Amino acid sequence: MPKEMASFTVNGKPYELIIEPQMTLLDVLRNQLGLMGTKYACGTGDCGACTVLVAEKPVLSCLTLAATVKGEEILTIEGLADGNNLHPIQQAFVDAGAVQCGFCTPGMILTTKALLDENPDPTPEDVQAGLGGNLCRCTGYVKIVDAVLAAAETLRRR
Amino acid sequence: MYRVLRPFELFEPATVGEATQILFARGAGAKVLAGGVDLVMKMRTRKIEPGYVVSLKKIPQLNGITGDGDSGLRIGALATLRSIELSAAAQNYPVLCQGINSISSIQVKNMGTAVGNLCVATPATDVAPPLFVLGAKLKIAGVDGEKLIPIEDFYAGVNKTVLASHEIVTEIILPGVCAGTGMAFLKIGKTGATIAKVNAAVLLVLADGKCTEARIALGAVAPAVIRAAEAETVLKGEKVDDGLIEKAAATATGEASPITDFRSTAEYRRVMIKALVKDALHKAVAEAGA
Amino acid sequence: MKKETAIVGQRIPRPDTPAKTMGMAEYAADIKLPGLLVGRILRSPYPHANIKSIDTSKAKQLPGVAAVITFADVPQTLFNRSSMAEAFPPPILAGEVQDEYVLSDKARFVGDWIAAAAATDIYTAEKALDLIDVEYEVLPAVFDPVAAMQPGAPVIHAGKERNIAATMEYPFNCGDVEKGFKEADYIVEGFFSTSSQKMCQLEPDAAVACWYPGGRVTVWSPNENPHLAKRVFAKVLNIPDGLVRWITPAVGGGFGGRLSFGVEFICAALAKATGKPVRVECTREEDFIGHDSRTAEYQTMKMGVKKDGVITAIEHRIISDSGAYYSHSGSTTGVNLIHTLGLLRCANIYGIAQIVYTNTPVGGGFRGYGNPEGAFAIQQLIDEAAEKIGMDPLEFRLKNAREAGEPSCWAPIALESCNLEQCIRLGAERIGWREKRGLKKKGQVRRGLGMSIMTHASGAGGFLLEHSNAIIKLNEDGSANLIVSPCEMGQGILGALSQIAAEALGLRYEDIHVVTGDTDVTLFDIGSHASRSVYVIGNAVVEAARDVKRQVLERAAKKLAVSVNELDIQAARVFVKADAEKWVSVSEIAREAIYNFTLTGAHISAIGSFQSDNWCPNFQAAFAEVEVNMETGEVKVIKFVVAHDIGRAINPLNVEGQIEGGVVQGIGFALYEDFVVDKNTGNTITDSFANYKIPSILDIPEIEVILVEEPVPSGPFGAKGVGESGLVNIAPAIANAIYDAVGVRICSLPMTPEKILMALNA
Repeated sequence: MPKEMASFTVNGKPYELIIEPQMTLLDVLRNQLGLMGTKYACGTGDCGACTVLVAEKPVLSCLTLAATVKGEEILTIEGLADGNNLHPIQQAFVDAGAVQCGFCTPGMILTTKALLDENPDPTPEDVQAGLGGNLCRCTGYVKIVDAVLAAAETLRRR
Repeated sequence: MYRVLRPFELFEPATVGEATQILFARGAGAKVLAGGVDLVMKMRTRKIEPGYVVSLKKIPQLNGITGDGDSGLRIGALATLRSIELSAAAQNYPVLCQGINSISSIQVKNMGTAVGNLCVATPATDVAPPLFVLGAKLKIAGVDGEKLIPIEDFYAGVNKTVLASHEIVTEIILPGVCAGTGMAFLKIGKTGATIAKVNAAVLLVLADGKCTEARIALGAVAPAVIRAAEAETVLKGEKVDDGLIEKAAATATGEASPITDFRSTAEYRRVMIKALVKDALHKAVAEAGA
Repeated sequence: MKKETAIVGQRIPRPDTPAKTMGMAEYAADIKLPGLLVGRILRSPYPHANIKSIDTSKAKQLPGVAAVITFADVPQTLFNRSSMAEAFPPPILAGEVQDEYVLSDKARFVGDWIAAAAATDIYTAEKALDLIDVEYEVLPAVFDPVAAMQPGAPVIHAGKERNIAATMEYPFNCGDVEKGFKEADYIVEGFFSTSSQKMCQLEPDAAVACWYPGGRVTVWSPNENPHLAKRVFAKVLNIPDGLVRWITPAVGGGFGGRLSFGVEFICAALAKATGKPVRVECTREEDFIGHDSRTAEYQTMKMGVKKDGVITAIEHRIISDSGAYYSHSGSTTGVNLIHTLGLLRCANIYGIAQIVYTNTPVGGGFRGYGNPEGAFAIQQLIDEAAEKIGMDPLEFRLKNAREAGEPSCWAPIALESCNLEQCIRLGAERIGWREKRGLKKKGQVRRGLGMSIMTHASGAGGFLLEHSNAIIKLNEDGSANLIVSPCEMGQGILGALSQIAAEALGLRYEDIHVVTGDTDVTLFDIGSHASRSVYVIGNAVVEAARDVKRQVLERAAKKLAVSVNELDIQAARVFVKADAEKWVSVSEIAREAIYNFTLTGAHISAIGSFQSDNWCPNFQAAFAEVEVNMETGEVKVIKFVVAHDIGRAINPLNVEGQIEGGVVQGIGFALYEDFVVDKNTGNTITDSFANYKIPSILDIPEIEVILVEEPVPSGPFGAKGVGESGLVNIAPAIANAIYDAVGVRICSLPMTPEKILMALNA
């Protein structure tokens, strides 16, 4: 099938990649850019573990054809920290005990970033509404809500 | 059980005309891509295996949500569910926002389009019932021109629309909302993030204490979304009180043909139709009166 | 008395979580190796079929395909997919049914692995599967265990007529139940069924394997018992243990599903056939179908009680649906009998179970491991019995639960500590038991309270092999490498063990560097199951730390010219207790021991070893407040109060996380998780998160965790286990709360609105 050269900006860096139509953004990120932080967990759009931000909006990379996001600004989990300095959202997740097995965590954190960018002072109900597309099997979500609220406060104070 | 999609050819036309031409040429072997939430998932799980995919994303005329509650609303085929939900214009159509809001995944709403949701034609769609009661019309473009059809005429059976393989829906057109209108959408499912067992949308117009217009749409309880016409007749022209609402809800139940599947039973769905229609009508009356 | 500690007991973040938040944790599917091939598995589309022939020639010829394997290419050795098989002492070992091959000789469920292919990329590997020609002889299939036991039912495993894989009696049957029932003033009984709940851990099944010149093989696997898995692997492949290296990457959840082998054997077989490293990945659909689920259990239970609340007899009969292969079905059923029938005081007990094959996906062991299943039955019968005699079910439980000094569920072992009563009283107060129970209910939406009590293991000491080893070595800077082999799958064990090590050594938390996940480096450990890790591995760590501390103190005593008894270590300083100004850093001691020019050098290090003969059960009381809509049957869980007898919380943040996670899994188990197999085709209908609903963030109630900390002497700093306990009480507490709210009792899981409405209208 026809290959094409496509430009992407991922975590602020420009890339020229050879892609084919059937490649998902998830597989391009993992297989071609070696960015393994974005996870495959269901492939049906139900769990949110593959979430990345495209033009600052959380989308499911497992259901996004890479060819349809050519030229877009993409943020993966690897683009959030400043070197080894955790982003306040990442730090809040660590401090609140909101990370157990960690498999849902990258998607959960990126969706949180988008939520807080849009609504810097969410209520617990806002947090639940904002993360309704992200499944976690380990934590029971309680400490995830705590972490998001704590992160919101930290970011507001910055 | 496949992890990856089968290779295919991707087209990215720049106009509606180009898109319909490609679809016409490739026939049933081509599928339309907007948000991709449903299409890519079905291609990955090999439920469908099109050799050609026609993306609409590069057609600028399909973007956009324009209008307001008075002049009416036009929703382009590429308007995402999230953008509709957040748009100022759509706030005049609360029942539509409620339907979209019941979809719990922000990601799905950022990617998925309202038009796409309609075209997937799942009987449990949360987007169609609100559009049914709002009196939506769909603009359809094909190689032989354009046409406008009421949404009630759009569905032809389970997961089936009346679209020919070369046709695409370019726009949803909603009329303005008149004074005295109340509307509501309710859904019931296994969890807070789920496909509906039953959903219901209602719209009432009250004038001088009487109902001048009543529309009730039910999802997940028939091969496609249906209007509960008999229940609507119960309400039209009458003073809408608790007893009438009860009667209308009971009538609506008889108009549906729910099935038993792994999600729920036919008996339970019937009970829920009555409960949801009743609750939704109460909400609509309260809003209409306000 | 709780000992004063600086690090144990703190709510401090775990060492593995920062990398997880950065996407840097490496799970099996993330592993890159030079020349890595991708492997995919061909699975049976039929629930029951003989394999007449497999033609792999076309697949093998596809460019990019490196190997295609079938039954003929794998070891012809039967095994049980449980990695725990070697931890069972004889004669129990003989009883674990070994009924699978690496690739199946016959299709016994839709999804059974029949062949596999490895190729340079996943597209080619999947194309290769399409080119494998399997000729099946379709056989009649049976999907229900009762039907499978009927004479004439299709025989799934040769030699197991009527598909009964095993029959087991409760090992502590006592007295005479018939006599007991005659003595009773009231008899309550019921039929309870629990479902094949799926683990739904977020990381789908995956593994990597590579063979090296010289015959060594490395397997990267998320299995929860690395050393035990390595042993079984070596046995099945008939190679010496020393040739196997088992590496545990980051693990995306286990919940007991990873106490079974997944794709490791197939992966290793492909790697052997290709001479290259191979990674096998599964889709979520394959994980739903091919990975173990909870073993569905159908239980008849009968209880006799006297007017004063004494239980005169309990009879418990179980039919367990093993699915197509035995896996953990027998063990979980045994754990059900043991925990359920051993919780209360009763002179006449009889329990018996049958494990039955069906042509459905495999039943294994899921968190709680039979205990949640049994609790769903007995905790409801308790409420019924209490109602019959007019006693508060809380008082009934207080009256009948076994106490410290009495036999534990594993009867030869007496209960060392039991603080269940405290859990019950504290929990009852927080939920408002006295105020809210028995309030007159009215209206369409009604609230109710329900409770449940449970006990669960802190390891399998006393009945299975319990054996942990920890190594601690001091680095030149006074920090310590802690070399341990639990399976960190999210429960926070690496953090907890670090806290224990730091506390026991007198170092700071940040001084501990955990080394884990490589059987070439770590010493033998059972791994993580039966909520054992803090209790057993923690004790091994304490042991190692004690030895290292002794070595440090001895060297420091010489340096400071005092006796050892005058010294202690705190915050990485060795100081004279009577004069804290006189100190020397641990780093100086450690460095001078290594860079020692007086021939008295050593690398300060120690091995700590611990074998538990005491399963040291933990206890819990859980209270649920629910709201039931009488018109729709919908249940909303408003609040859960869970009081846990933890002994000592090494890290309360972790303990809460385990309980909260267990509560939410329990809610799914109770109300809507339903694994559905089509009774005509044997296809799994619920093979996606769209169809199999687990709780979302929108579905959580208020959860209050109360930690009752009465340290148990045999535990590290007094700690007991908690990993599985969070789930056990949830479904019965909700069931009892539903009854309190609306007066109907639902005895099959999940307790859906459909069932509740039907019961209300009956």
